[in-house]
Amino acid sequence: MKIEHKIYLSNAVHILLIVLIGSFALQNLNQILTKFRFTVIAEGLNATFLEMRLAEKNYFLYGDAEALANIRGKIEQTGTTLLQLRHDITRAVGTEKYDRLQGYLEQYAVLVASLDSDRPPDPVARHKLRQTGQNLKTFSENITALESERIGAIIVHSKNILLYSFWAVVLFAFFFSYLTVHNIGQSLRKIVDLTRSISKGNYQRIEGKPSGDEMGAVMSAINAMAGELRKREQEIVQSKRLASLGVLVAGVAHELNNPLNNISMIAQTYAEVYDGLSREERIGFMVRVDEETERLRLIIHNLLDYAKPKEQHLARAAANQVIQKILSLVQNMLDISNIRIRLLLADDLPDIYIDEHQIQQVLVNMVTNAIQAMGQGGELRLTSRYLAGEDEIEIEIADNGKGIAPEFLEHIFDPFFTTKEESGTGLGLWVSYGIIKNHQGNIRVTSQVGVGTTFVITLPSCKKLKRCDDGEA
Amino acid sequence: MAKHSIMVIDDEKIVGDMAKLSFEQDGYEVETFLNGETALKRLEERRFDVVVTDLKMKGVDGLEVLRTVKKLYPGVVVIMITAFANLEVAIEALRDDVHDFFPKPVKIKELKASIKRALGEA
Repeated sequence: MKIEHKIYLSNAVHILLIVLIGSFALQNLNQILTKFRFTVIAEGLNATFLEMRLAEKNYFLYGDAEALANIRGKIEQTGTTLLQLRHDITRAVGTEKYDRLQGYLEQYAVLVASLDSDRPPDPVARHKLRQTGQNLKTFSENITALESERIGAIIVHSKNILLYSFWAVVLFAFFFSYLTVHNIGQSLRKIVDLTRSISKGNYQRIEGKPSGDEMGAVMSAINAMAGELRKREQEIVQSKRLASLGVLVAGVAHELNNPLNNISMIAQTYAEVYDGLSREERIGFMVRVDEETERLRLIIHNLLDYAKPKEQHLARAAANQVIQKILSLVQNMLDISNIRIRLLLADDLPDIYIDEHQIQQVLVNMVTNAIQAMGQGGELRLTSRYLAGEDEIEIEIADNGKGIAPEFLEHIFDPFFTTKEESGTGLGLWVSYGIIKNHQGNIRVTSQVGVGTTFVITLPSCKKLKRCDDGEA
Repeated sequence: MAKHSIMVIDDEKIVGDMAKLSFEQDGYEVETFLNGETALKRLEERRFDVVVTDLKMKGVDGLEVLRTVKKLYPGVVVIMITAFANLEVAIEALRDDVHDFFPKPVKIKELKASIKRALGEA
């Protein structure tokens, strides 16, 4: 259900509850008012009945004609009052009780009418009159007391109902708000987490089916955005790859044309000067042709190496072990160049998820570059460390060699860029860069001429890639 | 008549070596250089009749050699060879009065014919 509808529904329920409680309270108040009016009337009647009984007593004691007239007046007065207030009384106590009250009054009136002021009544009539007067008074007093009691009961009942409804409304409001806010909060937290991870370049989607409300719609939109961003990034990567392909093609043309030109010139000159050449000189020409073809072969090999990256064999590995392994490969070079090595390996490194052969290739390439930059002597520093915040490891290869000039530094990852006079193909760092990028890692470089160069490789931990449990991919 | 002198500059050693062998066969005096810097230094000492230079070299490149030669010896002919060049570079070279422009792989006969024309021998 949409949040909008939930809020409408909640408001509707609240309004309904308030209307119900209000109308209930109103009804009770009306009832109380009716009963209250009756008790006021009844108090009046009771007082009149009491006076009637007193007059009746006086009449019997003294045969007072004035007392008899008084009783008759009261009866008439009460009869009129009952008729006038018939509506109010029947509403309060019902028709039956009204009729009974009126019945008693009529009975009393008939008995009083039969009395004669000149002669005292006989004992039978006297008794009957007393009895009827008593009945009238008692009945009237009883229903008055009953109605007062009822008023009390209605007030207590109303108070209880109001109290319960109040708590019901409060609880309903609380639970509904809690559920709604809790759901929204949960969804918002998911969205916050996701956008954080997207901003870090990790275009994952929110798992599970999105809910049917607005939050679900937002999540669907974010999922769509993540997908779209991933697509865009792939397009950008693709176009960068194409741009670097342009650089590559230019480089290839230049790199291939040079040895080709050399071979061509050797052949042309060979034919031209053949007669004047000794046997050794002729062999020398052919050796140079062979060397140039070897150079071509190497360029093509390296190109193919990059253009068609071999299938990755990814597996969990310990970075320090990989470093130790490549050391045995480069030890000979280090010895020849008289280079000391300092290892600063962290012992809290998490495992990484890599193609070990490729990462070895990168490290050997970096170490070889460092050795060549240092020439004879120097110190090579290999450091590994764990970046807990990013859950990545860092491998640092630092030399104290001749350094790289700032204007060259920005080109060192370009294909065919080399600062080495003879020996470089200019593809080593380019290939290394590609490998590390394929591992979702990064390479950065700092250098100062005359001080040395430092390469830093970062690779995500297998935990970050959620691949710690994988063997071969 | 004294021998004509040719300066050859290319960071590929074979280019210089082969050019020297071939040009000397035709009776030219040849000096070869592996980079622009040493060539420019030599130009301060002496004049050559023809300068054949590679375009793309580390440090001092072919265009800089061309400009220096034209400044020091306005009459000297410069021939450019290159493994890879785009149109912009070729136009720039022409503007600086390059005599000829050869893409690698170079046909030595054509190069020699161009030198001969430059020296007024053809």
